[in-house]
Amino acid sequence: MSLFGQTVICGILLGGMYALIAIGMTLIMGVMKIINLAHGALVMVGMYITYVCYKSWGLDPYIGMLIAMPALFLIGCLIQRYMINRLVEVDSILPENQVLLTVGIMLVLTELARLIFKSDYRSVTTGYSSSTFFVGDMSISIPMTVGFFIAMAFTYLLHLFLTRTDLGRSIRATAQDRNAAIYMGVNAPRVTVITFGIGSALAAAGGSLLLPLFYLWPDIGHLFTAKAFIITILGGMGSTMGAIFGGLTLGIAESLGATYISMGYKDVVGLVIFLLVLLFLPGGFKSLTKR
Amino acid sequence: MLKVENIDVAYGDLQVLWDVSFTVQEGELLALLGANGAGKTTILNTISGLLRPRRGSIRFLGEEISRVPGHKLAELGIAHVPEGRRLFPEMTVKENLEMGSLSPEAKKKRKETMEWVYTLFPILKERQNQEAGTLSGGQQQMLAIGRGLMALPKLLMLDEPSLGLSPLLVSQVFEIIQDINRQEITVLLVEQNVMHVLKMCSRAYVLENGRLVLQGSGPELLNNQHVKEAYLGI
Ligand SMILES: Nc1ncnc2c1ncn2[C@@H]1O[C@H](COP(=O)(O)OP(=O)(O)O)[C@@H](O)[C@H]1O
Ligand SMILES: [Mg+2]
Repeated sequence: MSLFGQTVICGILLGGMYALIAIGMTLIMGVMKIINLAHGALVMVGMYITYVCYKSWGLDPYIGMLIAMPALFLIGCLIQRYMINRLVEVDSILPENQVLLTVGIMLVLTELARLIFKSDYRSVTTGYSSSTFFVGDMSISIPMTVGFFIAMAFTYLLHLFLTRTDLGRSIRATAQDRNAAIYMGVNAPRVTVITFGIGSALAAAGGSLLLPLFYLWPDIGHLFTAKAFIITILGGMGSTMGAIFGGLTLGIAESLGATYISMGYKDVVGLVIFLLVLLFLPGGFKSLTKR
Repeated sequence: MLKVENIDVAYGDLQVLWDVSFTVQEGELLALLGANGAGKTTILNTISGLLRPRRGSIRFLGEEISRVPGHKLAELGIAHVPEGRRLFPEMTVKENLEMGSLSPEAKKKRKETMEWVYTLFPILKERQNQEAGTLSGGQQQMLAIGRGLMALPKLLMLDEPSLGLSPLLVSQVFEIIQDINRQEITVLLVEQNVMHVLKMCSRAYVLENGRLVLQGSGPELLNNQHVKEAYLGI
């Protein structure tokens, strides 16, 4: 019983961090109406920045995160401003081709990382990397717990930003009806730039929180793109609450798969759930609450 | 106040407006009438900066606005209440109203303006924390108008506010529009509901197949033979 409890808790903690990455993706998807296939690569870049901060200056990953986030905010803004918005201005280019552009960005970022860091597996070992605490007889990882609570804190701050500020509301308004937002005086292209920046910063935050728990190599981005995509489908696009539910579901499923099937199959479990949802609940969990 | 001169507008290769010219004077309730597909919405979207005229000019308070980006017009004093209401369905009534007052001027007076809008539409106050998508059609139209008013506009453009409403609600909405006009807000009203509008507007233009064909005061047009035959079925 304690193994089961421990497995589920571990899944929830992991899922909260996945959710943060997926919220970044769903935010961008809501405003741009495109799937950002470079999202995982942005997570990867954020992780390398945090890694370099640790290696070069001995900065703790939770501090490194505070450098990786603004850096990724800037990178995200530049990508949107000088690449994606450039394509949007050309009427003859279909949205499908904007998605192809994100694939190109993903490839460039991944190969740049390979150029600089080689394909080696790297990891960050801090004093607390493998430390745990006990609840009853369940042993729970400290970095996972800290990561989970930081991820939830960011999610809450994002929620406040989106509901309490004019800029945040303008982001939601642009996602719900772009032209109507322009009628209201919203500078929609600028909103897309800021949204891509915020989404990328959240990707960097999620990556930095996971750094003490995962090996890092240039192709790890694909793994996170897949996870964020699965979560977004599970939770329904454009929904923060949905992304949290989706993230927790994926985290628990992976964790159960790793414990009871095999460590090697943990990612397969996520994909199986993904296929089941696409087949039986194409609108995600959200379609359960609506009628 | 608003002077539209000889504009041609096209969607790609498809031209839909030809040589359209009209003026809106300060304080008036001007109607733009025409059948479905005549080009009324296209005119409003061109004024709002979502479309660019191929030719011609649009001046608002003396300033050329046909090249000004769409998001700047709210700040200049033009509010557009679009066809089909175009609310933000997953935002609350209050948030929709807040979205209407983004310009620095309007934002400063956001609280008072909202109170004023709530006195015009008490139902919106009752529903202020409800999502806009859950409102009835009439309530949504009131919210769309209220959201436009939140910008404290000098010119309020309304695109078919009676669309899809019951006759009783139509009268109510037109009543409110007249009321707003009496509070010194200039109104440009686009409608298909010709009879009703000609009785309340100061002047009207009639648009057919992308060209303005008639203009005059309400009573003049009500007695016009062409208007009678084509729009009033008499
Ligand atoms: N986005 C668009 N692309 C191409 N044609 C359009 C578009 N919007 C409107 N039209 C065409 O322009 C003409 C005028 O439309 P519109 O301005 O919506 O008329 P109204 O508002 O008077 O009903 C119609 O023939 C319509 O089919
Ligand atoms: Mg129309």
